[in-house]
Amino acid sequence: MNGKDQYKNRIELLQGTLDMLILRTLQWGPQHGYGIVQALRLQSGDVLQVETGSLYPALHRLERQSWVQSEWKQSESKQKARYYRITVKGKKQLASDLGRWERIVAAIGSVMYLNPEESES
Amino acid sequence: MKWFPSFGFQRRKRELQEEIDAHLKMAIADRVARGETAESARQAASREFGNIPLVQDVTRDMWGQAWLEQLGRDFNYALRQLRKSPGFSITATAMLAVAICANSTVFSWIDGTMLRPIPGARDTGDLVSLQRGERSFSPVPPFSYLDYRDLREQNHTLSGLLAYHHDWITLTGGAQPERVYIANVSANYFDVLGIKPVLGRFFLSEEETRPDAVPSVVLSYSLWKTRYAQDPAIVGKSIEIARHPVTVIGVAPERVVGAMPGIREDLWVTLDPLGTDAWRMTHRSGGAVWLNVIGRLRPGVSRDQAAQDLDTVMHRIVAAYPDDHLGENRITLDPMWRSPFGANGYMAATLPILLAFAGVVLLLTCANVATLTLVRFVSRRRELAIRQSLGANRMQLVRQMVLEGAILSIVAGVVALVLTSWTSKTFAWFLPANAIPTVLNGTMDYRVVLGIAVSSLLACIVCGALPAWRSSHAPANEVLKAESASVSGGSRNRKLLSGLVVAQIALSLPLLLCSGLFLRTLRNLAGANPGFEQDHILTASVGLNIAGYNGDEEQLIRHKILDRVSALPGVQVASLTDWIPMTLSHKGDDAYPDGYVPHPHESLQVYHAEVGPRYFESLQIPIMEGREFTPDDNEKAPRVLIVDQTAAKRYWPGQDPLGKRLRVWGRPFTVVGVAKNSIHMLMNEAPEPMVYMNFFQQGYETIVQVKTEGNPADLAPAVENAIHEIDTRLPVFDVRPMRESTQMASIFAVIQSALAGMFALIGLVLSVTGIYGVVAYRTQRRTHEIGIRMALGASRVDVLRLVLVQGLWLTGIGLVLGLAFALGLTRLIARLLYGIGANDPITMASVVMLLGAMSLLACYLPAHRAVRRNPVTAIREL
Repeated sequence: MNGKDQYKNRIELLQGTLDMLILRTLQWGPQHGYGIVQALRLQSGDVLQVETGSLYPALHRLERQSWVQSEWKQSESKQKARYYRITVKGKKQLASDLGRWERIVAAIGSVMYLNPEESES
Repeated sequence: MKWFPSFGFQRRKRELQEEIDAHLKMAIADRVARGETAESARQAASREFGNIPLVQDVTRDMWGQAWLEQLGRDFNYALRQLRKSPGFSITATAMLAVAICANSTVFSWIDGTMLRPIPGARDTGDLVSLQRGERSFSPVPPFSYLDYRDLREQNHTLSGLLAYHHDWITLTGGAQPERVYIANVSANYFDVLGIKPVLGRFFLSEEETRPDAVPSVVLSYSLWKTRYAQDPAIVGKSIEIARHPVTVIGVAPERVVGAMPGIREDLWVTLDPLGTDAWRMTHRSGGAVWLNVIGRLRPGVSRDQAAQDLDTVMHRIVAAYPDDHLGENRITLDPMWRSPFGANGYMAATLPILLAFAGVVLLLTCANVATLTLVRFVSRRRELAIRQSLGANRMQLVRQMVLEGAILSIVAGVVALVLTSWTSKTFAWFLPANAIPTVLNGTMDYRVVLGIAVSSLLACIVCGALPAWRSSHAPANEVLKAESASVSGGSRNRKLLSGLVVAQIALSLPLLLCSGLFLRTLRNLAGANPGFEQDHILTASVGLNIAGYNGDEEQLIRHKILDRVSALPGVQVASLTDWIPMTLSHKGDDAYPDGYVPHPHESLQVYHAEVGPRYFESLQIPIMEGREFTPDDNEKAPRVLIVDQTAAKRYWPGQDPLGKRLRVWGRPFTVVGVAKNSIHMLMNEAPEPMVYMNFFQQGYETIVQVKTEGNPADLAPAVENAIHEIDTRLPVFDVRPMRESTQMASIFAVIQSALAGMFALIGLVLSVTGIYGVVAYRTQRRTHEIGIRMALGASRVDVLRLVLVQGLWLTGIGLVLGLAFALGLTRLIARLLYGIGANDPITMASVVMLLGAMSLLACYLPAHRAVRRNPVTAIREL
């Protein structure tokens, strides 16, 4: 694998993470862009701050891949907004993203928490 | 003006805007609800959101159409720029269109002839043309039927081998006999070519050599259409050829004209339809060698392998029948595009060279347009620098500039496409009226369109991308800061400009040199003496042998024709012949001189013609020794012949050839005279031995040859009438002055010099305007500097020198490079020249002088203008 490919993979991984987070947020019901930002911030305890410059490209990309669908609706505060809804295809994607994420966490964890002396024996 | 459809782009853009607005409103509403003031909430929300246009931009990228929208925008921008300078746009497009058209025209000719050698045939790339013996530029049919059959049956590398013999005959049965071109073909002829009949059937293998009481004939589509009104029930009907009834068994598809490239056949019959060729079918030498042969390679077999295989078979044949195969018998194969049988040999010698010239013209034009473009970009460099400092990245600028070149090239390509659809058909103009049924012309098909596209792409790269890339390098801040200090657009561009000017001169010099050589060749050809009289000679073909008379009737009619035509007023001498020199046709056969031992592999083939009494007198060919034919040399007298000096010298060196004997077709002939050498085919041919036999002893076709007092064309109706008075049904064809017939021998010289001359003229104009443009542009940019110099005391001569020297340097370098290039290129055309060497110093010197003088003039004009300016106004001008 050459350097360019490695770079590409890293980008995909990051994108995948944001995609996964968006899809997860939408599992609780259709939501607009602003709502997704708020939800992510609240649920992560103010740790995850999604940039709009990443969110909207991601939403539009997810829609192009048919993982979400969008429609214009009135919000509770009578504001017309574009609501995104997760599709069946999107749910499958979320499941596979989640599985991959867990494997990565486990793999990284086993590296990070491994006792050096144990590995030598 | 909108040039690109937006594909709902505008709607999606609006929706995104609304989506972002909604986002902001909700964020503001939340903040206000938490107690912030409306104003601070609005500010905070938009700060939090970030750069709105940027978010829109990156989001739009996700739609996958962004590039299209950008392209549309750049396209419209480029179009606006081009509209701003219509002079440049029109000139550049026109020049490119002409250059591309030059290429596509020559290519369409190649496409219509060499690349389409046998119209209607399947996979002509697998077909090979067989030649036996010494390779010759214009060989006669090389195989006997028996040799052909052995090759067909014993080879292991061909999937099929066909044979044909091309001839002409008359269609009788109508009011007037009509001349048609006919081929005797092997039964597998159409199979090997891969052609299926539109009506009826083609020949069966058992019919190949079988004579029939009523022979079968296959009609060409055009004959079926014109003469038989596309009669759907033609198959099975009886028609008449040379007064023999024949049965139509099939009709060939529309485009099929036969297996000889560039030559039309109207009818096809089997090899011995009447049984009259029985001798030919059972012998292997002499008159039995009459067939042209074409093979189809088996899949995966190369031409070399097939040649070796066939050569092995031929060796066996030669070993079995050595007496029939004296001399050289090696088999060589040619692909059909350069098959020496038919027109492609000539085409392959001429057209690729012309295409190379056209390619040089295209390069030259691209260099010229690139110069203009570069100058334009340099003068726009302030605008470019401003846009660059406002955030346009370099790639965007380059893309826009390249797009300008691309638009010019594409428009030029489209114009060239339209022009070529007409110019491709102009090839036929070069062909004079002649007895050969040529079907040569250019074609316009996908290959030509592809060629135009490739040329346009090349133009786009050279005229668009190259200057754009160079111009985008200019560092923006320097350009903006030091506008007046940079006198001629930076040294990098100056070098590129100089390079382009040098390239134009270097490319146009070889074009001029080659066209000079071709023009002098043409003049030499016109002024050359072929060794026979052409000016007061009229010839007329009489279709006697093909009209269905028996032998005795024919002889009687021939004598009558001679008597009647001789008696016409204005006729000095009348004679009969069966061949006209310099008409790209000739006859050849093996001749075996008694007592002559050939070298191993020496070809014994000689040219031959059958001529009547007073033939040499009428053509003013001197008889060096012995005598000319007389009326006493008739069919009952001993067979006699006259050889030319080449034959005499070759077979009987240092001896008296008179009284010597020569065997042709196994029959002995006695030499009674030696004629002076004359030209047979082309002015620049290598002398080949020629043997003249007596027309009344061996003549086949009948051509009346008349020496006239005045203009030979005036006598044409009288001669035709005289022949028709003998028998109105006698077909008379090709009545025309000898001068017209012999034009055939120089058509390729005419084509070469016409095209090379045109190309050279374009080259000259382009390179001279190119150097003029660059020198004028630079001088204009130096107006201020020149003004200062003159104010400080520089004389006019100094300034003149200043401007001229740089132009002359470029010219000098261009000429030297061009000369080197030309010396390489002229080697390619050396074979096509006549009476002049490829490195002829006079032509070379005059071409260099011409180009040098024109360039000098082109440099002098701007220099002169600069000198005449008032230094004070010059200094003020920035």
